Amino acid sequence: METFLQLVLTGIMVGSIYALVALGWVLIYKCSGVLNLAMGELTLIGAYVSLTFYTWGLPFPLALLATLIIGAILGILTERIFLRRLIGEPVLTIIMVTVGLSFFFRGLIELIWGTDTRVFHPPVFPYEPVRLGSVVIGQVYLWSFIAALALLGILAAFFRYTRWGLAMQAMADDEMAAMSLGISPKFVYAAAWAIAFMAAGVGGSLLGNINGVNISVGYLGLLVLPAVVLGGLNSIPGAIVGGIIIGVLQNLAGGYLDRFTPGGVKEIFPFVVMTLVLLLKPYGLFGWVRIERV
Amino acid sequence: MRMHLPSGVFYQTYKQDQALWPTTFVKLRMWGLLVFLFVIFPQIASPYWLSLANLVGYTILSAMGVQLLIGYTGQVTLGHAAFIATGAYTCAVLVLQYHVPYPLAFLAALIVAGLWSVLFGLPSARVKGFYLIMTTMAAQFITVDFIITQYVSRIGERGHSFSLPPGTLSIGPWVIQSDRDIYYLMITLVTLSVLAMTNLARTRIGRAWMAIRDHDIAAEALGINIVAYKLLAFFMAGVFGGMAGAFWIASLFAVSPEHFTWSWSLWLVGVILIGGLGSNYGTIFGSLFMTLVMEALRNMVTALAPLFPSLETSFLFIKEAAFGLAIILFLLYEPNGLAYRWWQIKNYIHLWPFSYE
Repeated sequence: METFLQLVLTGIMVGSIYALVALGWVLIYKCSGVLNLAMGELTLIGAYVSLTFYTWGLPFPLALLATLIIGAILGILTERIFLRRLIGEPVLTIIMVTVGLSFFFRGLIELIWGTDTRVFHPPVFPYEPVRLGSVVIGQVYLWSFIAALALLGILAAFFRYTRWGLAMQAMADDEMAAMSLGISPKFVYAAAWAIAFMAAGVGGSLLGNINGVNISVGYLGLLVLPAVVLGGLNSIPGAIVGGIIIGVLQNLAGGYLDRFTPGGVKEIFPFVVMTLVLLLKPYGLFGWVRIERV
Repeated sequence: MRMHLPSGVFYQTYKQDQALWPTTFVKLRMWGLLVFLFVIFPQIASPYWLSLANLVGYTILSAMGVQLLIGYTGQVTLGHAAFIATGAYTCAVLVLQYHVPYPLAFLAALIVAGLWSVLFGLPSARVKGFYLIMTTMAAQFITVDFIITQYVSRIGERGHSFSLPPGTLSIGPWVIQSDRDIYYLMITLVTLSVLAMTNLARTRIGRAWMAIRDHDIAAEALGINIVAYKLLAFFMAGVFGGMAGAFWIASLFAVSPEHFTWSWSLWLVGVILIGGLGSNYGTIFGSLFMTLVMEALRNMVTALAPLFPSLETSFLFIKEAAFGLAIILFLLYEPNGLAYRWWQIKNYIHLWPFSYE
């Protein structure tokens, strides 16, 4: 029972990071209809940028802030240079452009930072674990969880109360109506990409704090795909719930199923879940069921 | 894309109209090409060019199934390396562990890869578009990163690699040893599969696939059994993938999961997008272009290496970034691919001096 609690709690905490990245993904999809396969690389960029700032001597919160700013700039640039021309193109074209982007970014990341694992040094969060009753949690996880929750809260408030957030919601809801109300789609798409880069950047730097930064952080960023499929592609609450569920399931699989196999269950389990969801409930927990008419 | 025929050529029977190579000129050209590929090229080419040709051939065979699924049937797949890996490992296990003759193992690999592909094609009965992409992606991770890495590659206590020194494989008395032997095997397979693909595309099956690609609901209204034809497409794509894998182990010294990564799946999709969707020309041009351009890039890097020593180690990264950029630029500026450009040039020459296009 204790193991179970332990696994679930750690899962929730890692899952909240996935939820954060998944939120960025859903935002892009809702606002501009772009299915982004480069999310792993965005996460990776965030991890490396914050690491670089941190090793330059900035305190971690400031490094995170700098990552956010760089992320916003990169997001706007990406949208402006590559994705604005693709509005209205077939799905395959858009997806493959994001695949091209992922190769491009990964190549650049490897050129700039190499492939060796780097760690945040000195460690940002102390190593001593925290005891919650009988359960032991690493401080990294706890702080990541808090940071992710805070950001989710800020984003939720942004969508509810700010002018820009409302504009983005309107655009996601009904593009034509939003445009006739004077909302610029170009601005909204750029903002969506900027926010996605920022969310992925924070997610990446938190994930990088857990295990060190190397290419495999990009793989963790890819886990947003099972998360959003589980939650439903166009649902923001779905992204959060999906991310947390995927985190928990992944940890449980790692804890309970790993002993029956030679290993690797933890990495693969989210994708197994995704396949099952696609077979049984393809539009996810909260997604809109698409009815097609000729 | 039908060719515009030159003036003075017209068909008098349906048989003529349906001929694979309709005019004497085309016949001569094709036989010339075959003679060049089968007889002349292997005689004049140096080992370097032969191995490069083998790489192009492997890319063509691998991309064939992707072309079938994406270009002809409209089912986007991002996990084709899984089926290539299935073919390669089936063949390798049968040959190394059970001492099955290579041709038989080859056939078994085709069937196993085809069936494995059908398994992951099953969700296509219910979902499409992005959701199907996710399933094929899952196929990649489940097959290569889990089943093959964790289970299959441990068969026979060989650790992570199945070693296949040259000369292990033989067809009857013909031992496949040198690059030239591999070339002959490759060119035979490529010719056969291009022929098979061309003929599949112009029969009932191919037309059904294209109808599904163009509009699946309309296709169903016309009486096409969508699920059956989609699964058939997945089966055939798996068979082509298995063929690529079972062929490629001939030129590998050891089979290991690193040969069949997700990047390779994405690379194949990039190849057909750059070449052009929905034609064999697309597959062939894309494979030629990507392999040769990357090779040219490598040569350039090697030439510049004395000046910038760090360049040599970072070649792989430059290659990745260049590939990504190439896909993006092609999709933005030449979305129909190289095959379309080739078609335009051919028509221009055919219709000269009255080209009006």
